[in-house]
Amino acid sequence: MTGPGTDSGSDVPAGAGRDDLDPVWKALANPIRRRMLDLLRAGARTTSELADSFTDLSRFAVMQHLRVLVDAELVVPRRSGRRRFNHLNPVPIQRIHDRWVSRYRRHWAEALVDLKAALEANAADGEATPAALRRSSQ
Amino acid sequence: MTEAGESREHVASILIEAPIRSVWNEITKTGSIQRALYNTVLETTLEPGARLRYYSPDRKRVFVVGEVVEVDPPTKFVHTYIFTMKPGPPTLVTWHLDETPDGCRVTITHSGWTDAHEDVDKQIAGWREILGLLKAQVETGSIPLKTRLQYALMGLMGFMLPKTTRVGYADEQGW
Repeated sequence: MTGPGTDSGSDVPAGAGRDDLDPVWKALANPIRRRMLDLLRAGARTTSELADSFTDLSRFAVMQHLRVLVDAELVVPRRSGRRRFNHLNPVPIQRIHDRWVSRYRRHWAEALVDLKAALEANAADGEATPAALRRSSQ
Repeated sequence: MTEAGESREHVASILIEAPIRSVWNEITKTGSIQRALYNTVLETTLEPGARLRYYSPDRKRVFVVGEVVEVDPPTKFVHTYIFTMKPGPPTLVTWHLDETPDGCRVTITHSGWTDAHEDVDKQIAGWREILGLLKAQVETGSIPLKTRLQYALMGLMGFMLPKTTRVGYADEQGW
């Protein structure tokens, strides 16, 4: 572990600069594209329907944004009869959740177990002061 | 297709870096545990019209019942679907496998939802987890420890499942 004040990236494994979720982050970084995903969450829409919802954007711009979302796999186009619908694909967001959130949740669980151990140890010693807690958690 | 019909179709998709055949074999594997599909055992002859059931490993419970609609190896598998924990009118599950330069794109389309169905969001949420597990299983040959622990717990909690998941109940319903 790095000590306090050393804000280095030494905990990051080599080669972790790029990964297959990069396009997802890039796609999510834009507010228009996030609005598109919000719309699609309510149900699949054709590209024309999407363009109609963005009156401030040209159809070309809408298609370009859509393209970024499709490349990131956040949107999956599927044909239904003559029309082509854009569906929200929740899988990449689930993968972000699995990779980041569930990992931190485990840290929280460990931290709580440590806290419980510290509290119980101090209760047994008859001193459960904040200072004692700080000491035992170090 | 009506607007309402479209909005009630749910899609989930993932790219798996493995040959299309290995993905197909995994999702159509019968008689032994499919770890990606919540540790269930698929029983069906994979012929259109045939009964399809996803059982618990001990075969005392059945979680999904339906009928095979279409089988086109290794690209398309369609079946009707009733979730026994929240039974409703049959919906339709379509597995699409597309070969890509990197491997295989798997897309699940789940359609036919109506107002009669309960907890649709929860039922749908399973697919994105299943696709992540399928990717792990096919690419690495295993699923995360966390998930294996969940399965072990699920096995122990079997007695808490609703009676609609009993095989006898499914038989009575003609599922």
